[in-house]
Amino acid sequence: MFLLRKEFRQIVRNPFMIRAIIAVPIIQMLILVPAVTFEIKRIDLAVIDNDHSPSSRELLARLSGSSFFRITATPVNIEEAEALLFSGDADMALIIPGDFSEGLAGITRPRLQVLADAVNATSAQLSWNYLTSVVRDFNRDIVIGEGAATAGISAAGSLQASLPGIAVSSRFWYNPTLNYKYYMLPGVLVILITAIGLMMTGLNLVREKEVGTIEQINVTPVRKWELIASKVIPFFIIGLLDLALGLCIGWLAFNIPFEGSLLLFFACASIFLVAVLGLALFFSTMASTQQQFLFVAFFFVMIFILMSGIFTPTESMPVWAQQFNWVNPVAYLMRINRMVMLKGAGFHDIARDVGMLTVLAVAFITLAIRAYRKRA
Amino acid sequence: MTEIKKVIEVEGLVKRFGSFVANDHLTFDVYKGEIFGFLGANGAGKTTAIRILCGLSHPTSGKMTVAGIDAGRPEEIKKRIGYMSQRFSLYDDLTVNENIELYGGIYGMTMKEIRQRREELLTRLSFSQYGEMLIGSLPLGLKQKLAFAVAVFHDPEIVFLDEPTSGVDPITRRQFWEMIYETASRGITVFVTTHYMDEAEYCDRVTIMSEGRIVALDSPAALRGRYNTATIEELFVKIARPKTETA
Repeated sequence: MFLLRKEFRQIVRNPFMIRAIIAVPIIQMLILVPAVTFEIKRIDLAVIDNDHSPSSRELLARLSGSSFFRITATPVNIEEAEALLFSGDADMALIIPGDFSEGLAGITRPRLQVLADAVNATSAQLSWNYLTSVVRDFNRDIVIGEGAATAGISAAGSLQASLPGIAVSSRFWYNPTLNYKYYMLPGVLVILITAIGLMMTGLNLVREKEVGTIEQINVTPVRKWELIASKVIPFFIIGLLDLALGLCIGWLAFNIPFEGSLLLFFACASIFLVAVLGLALFFSTMASTQQQFLFVAFFFVMIFILMSGIFTPTESMPVWAQQFNWVNPVAYLMRINRMVMLKGAGFHDIARDVGMLTVLAVAFITLAIRAYRKRA
Repeated sequence: MTEIKKVIEVEGLVKRFGSFVANDHLTFDVYKGEIFGFLGANGAGKTTAIRILCGLSHPTSGKMTVAGIDAGRPEEIKKRIGYMSQRFSLYDDLTVNENIELYGGIYGMTMKEIRQRREELLTRLSFSQYGEMLIGSLPLGLKQKLAFAVAVFHDPEIVFLDEPTSGVDPITRRQFWEMIYETASRGITVFVTTHYMDEAEYCDRVTIMSEGRIVALDSPAALRGRYNTATIEELFVKIARPKTETA
């Protein structure tokens, strides 16, 4: 097919394309995977210790002894602590009341007050969880140490530090060390091929519109599906190459486990790429300049990726958002990749997602062919 | 002029963009093997008409056949025509040979045919040394000549040239017109738009357009006689001046 040969020649001849094809996966994998993490380390804690007792010092030692907290300030009053939170110099403030050790001794009910900077709700929530778990441990040891069952600590807010009547021991399956890189990497691979596929394909067609070469093609008897195929196939191959490259980097740099079948993984990615490329061509038939295309594509890529469940589980999104994900190819591949890479899922485990992805791929490609106009 | 075969028939062709009438009831025929000129100032509706004839644009109303095919089947028309737009449209990042190969292939020629005819063509134009050069590295005049050669490479019945000589030097323009004559002598009908009045003299028949309408259509000599002018340029200024501004 002559058009196909033309596309390959143009890609090979374009030094920028070659560099982009190689550099983008390397940079994305090496930067995004380690950078995007939900783990929170070094929470800056401001402490007002009104008790100055061995107990309060013991609690503070435990906090600063954990890898999560750093006691960075000891303000004298709440106003000062609030100022620290406001300026961002402290992430949390812990106020130990003057009757803390008395409380522990069973005289009063001891209360801790915690103020958290919740601008970033996720990190505030996590910090809170870390803090309460430290306090809970402290509490349990006190109880065990003193043999008294009355001295529960409750911190202001909603925490009721309950006594551990039942010891819960948890094990995390599929990602036993809770390594966020393992969780992020399959997602970053999806972002990688989404960005590469959507941008390169779409810009290619729109550039031909801008330069005017597409008109010469339109005046030939070439069939629409041939033209679309000649635009899809090269970038399809590039997408798969970049996926393979990204996966290799995952192995080499992050030692990511790969539990499932490579064949299944690439088969799903192929279906996904057809969907994304179809969408890219659909957008580019509507855009007449590269700026217009970029704007539309960027908008959709952002929505697709943010709603895909890469950062937050889709199950906790509102119902309408979950419904939107029915037509979000990124959401399907995000789930498939994690299932296959981390859980070693087989085809029947992901059959529904694969099926939906196939429907989308067929729909988007058809849309692109239908929307393409050989006449203005 | 016995057995003159019409290759383009247009009757009452109208193209509207909103309230703007780009082509206002055009009616004309083009005969096989002639060089048919479309003259007009910028914005007179030449490009619109040519795009409709090539199947790149829908007419609002009117009847037309191109190469014996009704306008309702543009893809069939496209098989039988060649087209060169005023925007240069070969691929800059492909070589001369590769561009020829691409378009030959799109029109269904085999690689063997393409190679053979490409060699003939480049030899005839004495372009053989440019075969492996990227189009982007060639001067404009050469590119335009190549674009024309590519437009007729698959031996169409009609070739449409939309202001093919705009922006090229006088010598290249002359060479270009030699190519046009050579093409017409092979029996390929040439439909050419231009705003260079001297070029009108080279055509077998010319149509003068103004504000979307055809204001005159005949051979250059007959037109000069009828309006009693020495040149087509004079004639053009006389009859094609838009009402609202000077031409």
